[in-house]
Formats: sequence, C-alpha cells, structure tokens
Amino acid sequence: MRSKIGLLVVFTIIFIIPTLNYAFAAGDEPGEYLDRRVVIWNLFFRMMVVAFTIGAVVSGTMVWLVWRFRESNPNAKPTKYEETGEW
Amino acid sequence: MSEHGNWAEWVYIGVVCALLVWVGAEAWNVERLVEHVPADAEVIKVTGQQWFWSFEHEDGTKEIGELHVEKGKAYKFEVTSKDVIHSFNIHDYVVLIDAVPGRINIVWFVPDEVGEHEIQCREYCGLLHYNMRAKLYVEEST
Amino acid sequence: MVLELQKPRPIWQIMFSTHHTDVGLLYLIMSLAFFFMGGVLALFIRIELFLPGPQIIADSMTFNRMFTVHGTTLIFLFILPFASAVGNYFVPIMVRYKDMAYPKLNAIAFWMLPPAGALVWLGFADFTWYAQPPYSVISAPAPAADMWIFGLKIIGISQVLGSINFIVTILKCKHPDLPLSKMPLMAWSFLSSSLIVIVAIPTFAAALLMLLTDRMGMSGFFDPNVGGDPIAYSHLFWFTFHPEVYVLVIPAIGMMYEIIPRFSRKPIFSHSSGVFAFIMLAMVSFASWAHHMYATGMSFTEKTVFMVGTLAAVPASAMHVFNFLATMWGGRIKFATPMMWSVGGIALFFAAGAGGVVNSAMPLDFITHDSYWVVGHFHLFVMGTIAFGSFGFAYYMFPYVTGRMYHEKLGQVHFVLSFVGAILVFFTQHILGLFGMPRRVYDYPPFPEWIAMNQIITMGAVLLAIGAAIWLGNFIYSMGRGKPADMEDPFKLGGKYYYPYQQKTPHHD
Ligand code: HEM
Ligand SMILES: [Cu+2]
Ligand SMILES: [Cu+2]
Repeated sequence: MRSKIGLLVVFTIIFIIPTLNYAFAAGDEPGEYLDRRVVIWNLFFRMMVVAFTIGAVVSGTMVWLVWRFRESNPNAKPTKYEETGEW
Repeated sequence: MSEHGNWAEWVYIGVVCALLVWVGAEAWNVERLVEHVPADAEVIKVTGQQWFWSFEHEDGTKEIGELHVEKGKAYKFEVTSKDVIHSFNIHDYVVLIDAVPGRINIVWFVPDEVGEHEIQCREYCGLLHYNMRAKLYVEEST
Repeated sequence: MVLELQKPRPIWQIMFSTHHTDVGLLYLIMSLAFFFMGGVLALFIRIELFLPGPQIIADSMTFNRMFTVHGTTLIFLFILPFASAVGNYFVPIMVRYKDMAYPKLNAIAFWMLPPAGALVWLGFADFTWYAQPPYSVISAPAPAADMWIFGLKIIGISQVLGSINFIVTILKCKHPDLPLSKMPLMAWSFLSSSLIVIVAIPTFAAALLMLLTDRMGMSGFFDPNVGGDPIAYSHLFWFTFHPEVYVLVIPAIGMMYEIIPRFSRKPIFSHSSGVFAFIMLAMVSFASWAHHMYATGMSFTEKTVFMVGTLAAVPASAMHVFNFLATMWGGRIKFATPMMWSVGGIALFFAAGAGGVVNSAMPLDFITHDSYWVVGHFHLFVMGTIAFGSFGFAYYMFPYVTGRMYHEKLGQVHFVLSFVGAILVFFTQHILGLFGMPRRVYDYPPFPEWIAMNQIITMGAVLLAIGAAIWLGNFIYSMGRGKPADMEDPFKLGGKYYYPYQQKTPHHD
C-alpha cells in the first residue's frame, strides 16, 4: 500500500510540474496571441479520441456479453445458482 | 460475494480515476490559457437586452446588431445586460459568456481571418430569444 | 402484492386507500399519464423544428410555454412519481414491513401531486424549467408563472414527505432479521435518493419563495437594481437540482439492480460495491452544482473547484456500470423486455456519462453550454437511462400488478424503436450543439447542417413516439385480455426467487 501511494505521488508530481510550468508561462509575449479556437477545439478532439476509444471498449464488451451469455447461445449453460434456485 | 476476488473492479476504478485526473488537468490547463487576457486587448462593451445586442468600441463608436473588428487584433468583451440574462456567443470563435444585469463579464478573442460570423444569444431570454442575433464583420486591419 | 385488475375493485376504493400498493398504483397511473402528456408536447416541439420558419406552432410564446411544461412535467410528474410508484410497491416488501411507515402521509404526498400538475398545466408558464430571474421576475407573464411556482412548491413538499416516509420505513420498520448490509440494492437506492431529497429540496423551496416575493414587488433578492443578484438564484437552484438529477437516476439504477441479476440468473456481482456507490453518489452529488454556471462569470478558482467536484462523482457511477456488466458475465441471460430496457439503459448511461465528463471540462463549456449538446446530454440521462430503466421496470411489474402478461413481441418492438430513436435524437443533438445551435429556440436560420440534423432528430422523435404508442396499446390491451401470468414465475426464469405479491422473504444475497 505504502509503495502504491508513493508511486502515485511520484506520478502526480512529474505530471503536474510540467503542466504548471507550461500554464503559467503561456501567453505573455506581446503580439503573439493564443488562438482560443485552436486550444479549445484541440482539447475537445483529444477528449473525443479517448472517449470514443473507451466507448468502443465498453460497447464492445457489452455486445459481446449480450451475445455470449444470452440463453439462446449454443454455449450457454445454467449458472451454478440455478441448481439451488437461489440468486 | 466472497468467492470471486474483485481485483478487476479495483483496476477498473483505477483506470477511471486516472482518466478523470487527466481530464481535469487538461481542462484546467486550457482554461488557464484562455482566461489570460492580453494586456493590449482593445475593450468592446457589449450590452444585451431583449432582444438585440449593442456594442461600444474604445473610441466611443457604437453599433447595434453588427460588430466590426479588425483582423489580428485582440479584443476584450465586457459583457452585461440591461434586463434579463442573455448569453453572448460567437460560436465560430468559441466565444461565450453570459450577459448578466448588474455584472460585467469578460471574454476575449483574436479574429484571425477576414469574414462574417454569426453572433447569437445562447441563454433563454423570452419571446424573441430565437432571433436575438447580430453579425460579426472581421475586416482587414488598417 | 395486490393483483389489482384480476380482482376488480371500485376505483374509489383505490383512491381512498392508504395501502402502499394502492398508493403505488395511483403513482404509477399518474406518472404514466403525465409521460404521455409531456411526450405529446415534445412531439410538437420536434415537428416545429423540422424546418426553419413557423410550422405548426403559431408563435414563439406558445413554443416557449411548451418546452417549459414539457421539461417540468417529465421531470417532476413522470420520473419522480414513477420512482415513488416503484418504491411504494417494493420498499415495504423488501424491508419486510406491512406497509409504508406512515400510510396516511403517504397518501397525502400522492394527492398533492394532481393539483400541482394541474397548476403547471393550466398555467402553462414560459420561463423554462429553471425559472431564472430576472426573466422570471420581470418578464414572465402572470398568472402562469405564479401557478408554476405554487405547483413546484407543492411538488417539493410532496417529495419531502415521500422521502421521509421511505427513510423511516427503511431505517425504522425494517425487519430486525434483515441487516442493512443485506437489504436489496433497490431499497438502498430509495434510501440514498430520499436522503438527497431531504438535504437538497429546502434550498429550492426557499428560492421559490424569494422568487414569489420578488414577483410581488415585496423584495429584490434577485434584482440587481436594488442590490440583489440573479446569479444567487442560480446557486440556490442548482444546489438543489444537481443533487436532484441523482435523485432521478438513483432509483432507476436501483430498478436495474432488480432486473439484471434476475434475468442473468446470477446474484449481483457485488452488493457492497453497489451500496458504496450509492452512498458516494448521495454525498458527492452536493459538490458540483455550479458546473451549470461556468458561463455566468465565475472565477477560475470557482470553476476549478466545481469541475473537480463534478469529476469526483464519476467513479461511483462507473462502479454501477461495472457491477451490472460483471453480473451479466457468466450468466444465462434471458432477454425478455425488461432486461432489454435495462441493458440498453446501461449503454446509454455510459454514453451520457462520457458526455457529462466533457461538459464538466470547463473550457469545453464555451462550445457546448446552452447549445443543443446540453439537451442531448441530459436527455441521454433522463430518457436514455432513467426512462429506459423505468420502462423496463414497468414491464417487469406488469404481471404483478395486473395478473396478466403483456405482449412480449410488442414490448421488444417498443424497446428497439426507442433505442434507435434515442440514439438518433440525442446523439444528433450533441453534434447539432457542436455546430452551434442554441437550445430553447422557436426558430433558426436556414443553415443546411442545422436543417439536416433537426430533421434527423425529428425523425428519431417520431420513432420514439411510435414506440410509446405501441407500449400504450400493449398495456391497455393486455390489462384486460393478456394471457394470465404465471404468478410464481411470470418470466420463466426458474429459481426460488421471491415474488413480490407473496410478500415472502427476499432471497437477495
Ligand atoms: C446522473 C444523471 C444526470 C442527469 C439526470 C443530468 C441532467 C442534466 C441536466 C438536466 C442538465 C441541463 C440542465 C439545464 O441546463 O437545463 C445537465 C447539465 C450538465 N450535466 Fe448532467 N446530468 C446527469 C449526470 C451528469 C454527470 C455524471 C456529469 C458529469 C460527469 C454531468 C455534467 C453536467 C454538466 C457539466 C452540465 C452543464 C452543461 C452546460 O450547461 O453547459 N451530468 N445535466
Ligand atoms: Cu436569449
Ligand atoms: Cu449538474
């Protein structure tokens, strides 16, 4: 447990420090403006990439579950709870 | 259920939490960037009222229903309302902030191409909310 | 459970009864009636938006009133009373008590709702389901606005009374042999959502009073000209209503916790993680209300705090999804209608949650806030998750309530139409939001993309409507003419499951 927490702290630190640097340094040079369209939409698309990846995994899992464990599947066998009838 | 371990659930929750931390950090970072108003941004006072937008430039020129800006300049909108809450929105430039009576809200942008864009109201404000529109004209800088 | 329609009784016997199944039946009938009424409004709205320019609704005022009453009806007069219906039927049975703790109070809480519904519908207010001042104070026409305020006031009181009843029934009347840790998850869902109600509602109750006195000119809480602040209302409102969205969704998840193990022929994967997730949700739901207010001019710090609070609620929801999928894993699943709704509901629950995470990332709010994206987001929850779970449970209860079976094939058709319809409508609404279309608009400029997407959405809505019509027909017909249900095992699942009408001991764990 201790080591896990330690690891977590380390990861947090190596992640957050560059982020902070990057954030606080930005946008200060005169005449060089940040384009809000670009940064915001980029963030959106980054998140969509992740969201759709996870969505594919989750919905894939669900489709597989539904297909594999439906009672009409040739491989379906009674669950062990059906013997006693208690679940 | 004691027969099965639940390591899978712990891994899953770990992944979920890691992703949330990532989302939070990224969002925090981008928000910081876009909230940093450049010091040389020109102020445009924006007033919403049922059901039109009016604008006042730094030099005192006023416009109603249309807004002329120059390409490549930074503009800082000071948005307020005379009656009910509206929301000042230039979707093409991802500009959005509520116009709240009694408050001045700030949002800034840099138009980077010559062209025309829709300005609309994005907060329900009554009868003609659906038609509370204006036009943004981005012109060549002088 | 009473076999309501196999032993017909005069209607007034049910109406004046305080027995929990009778009150449950009243809740059930009323909530479904309001579902169809609110649904008709939605159909009008969708037809109006099929093309730019006025279509079937004469003016924007009527349109605005319609979406206001649509939202108010479906949240307060369909979803909440439907949950109360289920809770009334099942919670006493699950905690093995003869009735609700306070039967008369229970009946009173129900009978407050029809007058409240009448106020909302006869007034037909136009200030959207959140009655935001200053609009609701200086612009919204009387008496509609005041009737809405009183209607909501009554609904709030009814909800608090109902919740007190659930809490006392569960905590005080539970059979001593049944420890809380063994109590079925659906009963847990009612305990946690009732606790949220008790904490959350008073704030909105206060806000409504302030709104009323502001409207009467006696005060200026929300009037900036006398030092008030309209944004204060937003805080009060969302302090109640962000937690309230969990009040809506938690019972629906509870219903899925009934259906999914039963039709998978397996016990729930982890009872304790379900309990934990409910408690987490109930607490963390209070940490995120101002994510609805990113655009009101909050400071960076405030926004960050509420973003973190919002994200903090996600793991608990994710645990429920895990629990459901892990329960199905290794089961022998019977895909009868109730199970289909539950599984479809979980799929959309995930999609909606992912959208919620995107909403809460504060810079993305510049794109999505108050656009059709938000409409798509919360409809995936309220329709795709909550209503789907509820519809599934309505099918599930049907044999226990009527003693007859509904028509299975038609039930499945209803599900498929609704699932396809929901995806067409609500996914497209997300994209339409990305293209910048504001919500709550009577009309829109003829941008080709907007027109195309609005048409897809309207066609999806028609699918939903056809599904709902089939459902109504199915239930009305089957109530009188359906095959008599095998009351021991109406869904042919086998097993010594407890069946509610026998009022036997639950075999949940
Ligand atoms: C649990 C079921 C949920 C329901 C019933 C629900 C319902 C709603 C509703 C009704 C709105 C729109 C309110 C309005 O403006 O009229 C909304 C907006 C929002 N929801 Fe949810 N929601 C749920 C879950 C979530 C989750 C899990 C998250 C985040 C992880 C989330 C984040 C948001 C955010 C940030 C907004 C504001 C969007 C905006 O206005 O820009 N919601 N939700
Ligand atoms: Cu507006
Ligand atoms: Cu919320």
